[in-house]
Amino acid sequence: MAAGQGIEVATLFLRGLRGGLDAGLDLPQALARSASGLPRGARERVRGIRRRLDGDYQEDEWGFDGEFRDAVEPVFDFLYDAWWRVRVSGVENVPGHGRALLAANHGGILPWDATMMSVALMREHPLPRQPRFLVLDWAFELPFISSTIRKVGGVVASPHNALRLLGQDELVAVFPEGVKGMAKPFAQRYRLQRFGRGGFVEIALRAGAPIVPVAVVGSEEIYPKLGESRTLARAVGAPFFPLTPLFPWLGPLGAIPLPSRWRIEFCAPIETASYGPEGADDRGLVLELSEQVRQTIQRAVLENVVKRGGTFV
Amino acid sequence: MAGRRVLVTGVGSYIGTGLARRLEDHPDFDYVAGLDTRPSRSPLERTELIEADIRDPVIATLIAQAEVDTVVHNQIVRQPEPGTSSATMHDINVIGSLQLLTACERSPSVRSIVIRGSAGIYGSEPAAPQFFGEEMTRLYPLRTRFQRDIGEIENYFLTFARRHPHVTCTMLRYQPAIGPSLETQITRYLSAPVVPTYLGYDPRLQFVHEDDALDALVAAIRRPVRGAVNVAGPGTIGLTRLVRMAGRPTLPVPAPLFASTAGALGRTGLPRLSPDFRNLLRYGRAVDTTRLTEEVGFTPRYSTPAAALDFVARHAPRGMVPRLKRAVA
Repeated sequence: MAAGQGIEVATLFLRGLRGGLDAGLDLPQALARSASGLPRGARERVRGIRRRLDGDYQEDEWGFDGEFRDAVEPVFDFLYDAWWRVRVSGVENVPGHGRALLAANHGGILPWDATMMSVALMREHPLPRQPRFLVLDWAFELPFISSTIRKVGGVVASPHNALRLLGQDELVAVFPEGVKGMAKPFAQRYRLQRFGRGGFVEIALRAGAPIVPVAVVGSEEIYPKLGESRTLARAVGAPFFPLTPLFPWLGPLGAIPLPSRWRIEFCAPIETASYGPEGADDRGLVLELSEQVRQTIQRAVLENVVKRGGTFV
Repeated sequence: MAGRRVLVTGVGSYIGTGLARRLEDHPDFDYVAGLDTRPSRSPLERTELIEADIRDPVIATLIAQAEVDTVVHNQIVRQPEPGTSSATMHDINVIGSLQLLTACERSPSVRSIVIRGSAGIYGSEPAAPQFFGEEMTRLYPLRTRFQRDIGEIENYFLTFARRHPHVTCTMLRYQPAIGPSLETQITRYLSAPVVPTYLGYDPRLQFVHEDDALDALVAAIRRPVRGAVNVAGPGTIGLTRLVRMAGRPTLPVPAPLFASTAGALGRTGLPRLSPDFRNLLRYGRAVDTTRLTEEVGFTPRYSTPAAALDFVARHAPRGMVPRLKRAVA
């Protein structure tokens, strides 16, 4: 289609839209009416928008919105292919169906590592799966961020949520380092922090779900934390307030992650079903398994840092 | 168990009248009494209406005379009504429940008490579990006056149940009810010409359909279980999706300005929003209903999206309902 023709079609569309609105139709109806003159692709898109505006779409009980996830996919794909150039290994270690718990190291303030893990599983896994990831509860107080995370598959990091998801045979991603992982300074990158009291192992044991250790390399360089401000953290009610080369000096632009190169390795799963749910009450077993997972991730992280070579190029 | 005798408080409410009618139609129930100062919403056939204020100590004698085996406490005011001040609301809820319990203590025939309570006791919290189980009432402080009232009521019944082990107390924790004939805070909100929302928040909400709300009560009366039971339609619905289904224009307001904006809109004639309801609009709330299906043996007919759709279908300004039905199915 020539450029002139395109402009003509667009003008017709806008004129039709205005006419519809003037005639007292509401926005979705006016959109539908004026879309008839558009080429097919654009017509489909307008129809999609109209459906969304009518509330005619699906969310599951957790608030996951498949259409929204598909709509932001190009952004994720860009980050995955061009920005971070993610390399993935070991996807075959993730079960193709049934419950499983992915445990990964954690870096960065926003859950980009979880997002890239889910893109990796959707693209590279023979039976693509959308994992649900547990996100630090603080993120759910924030406007826009809370609703976006929820729509792409994030849930509040709470053992109740994890158990319910596993009970529904979902794939659940956790970051056992928690806020300690996010808050570690740049100099400490890829040194895994303590895994708390091993709550994630208890959950896996109780649900009889295998634990898949995951090493993510690259995520710990996207927001290099140089320092933190306690005063600002208290002022905004955050668990910590990072100072990076870009944040908070550039405002919202400071949330742009640096283009490090990434590697994600899914390690061999650790079976937990044989211990039975009562294993969750065995403190020794929980701490032992937790340490085993930690060491597996730490080893895989260091291997992948070496394999990756340069951090940014 | 045939020949049951039931007393329903708050029989003048939509749910109270509906429940009395359902009990009348049921062969298991020999005698139905309704307590209220208001008349019933529609004429009832064989329900004996006892005109008394639940806060009045005289109800002890009246209830003892009725010789009922089951008392259904349905007079908990959940939202500020136009004619009811918040002090009256507190009075009816707390003093009313106390008087009712005293009356039950003096009526030796009472074997079970079913309370239509509120899931509002869990609150609406950003970091809350996405489905509250019955044991999770103590995760957060009770922040609003209504929550504290409900907390107090639950405590009274808990103490009562401990002291009188032969009486089964069932605390039904209802999510907000919705449906074509019910008028509640959520239906008023969704019927307003413009709907204020929190900018950047899209909470998950959960409802129980008005028919299921009644059937759940009947199920709990027929099979009383001890302790708390959540009542809600399965599933959740995002506020954005709900408002769009209802075809209402939204007014997104930044969180710090929301209370004052909503207050100003309330003065211009739009529905007033209680503090509990405002929290719900920001953070939402959903509950786990395993106990309802497995122990009370009641499965709601309407999921939350289906219940919302049934409300919308009645009020929908556009012929879009058939398509939405597909989406909900």
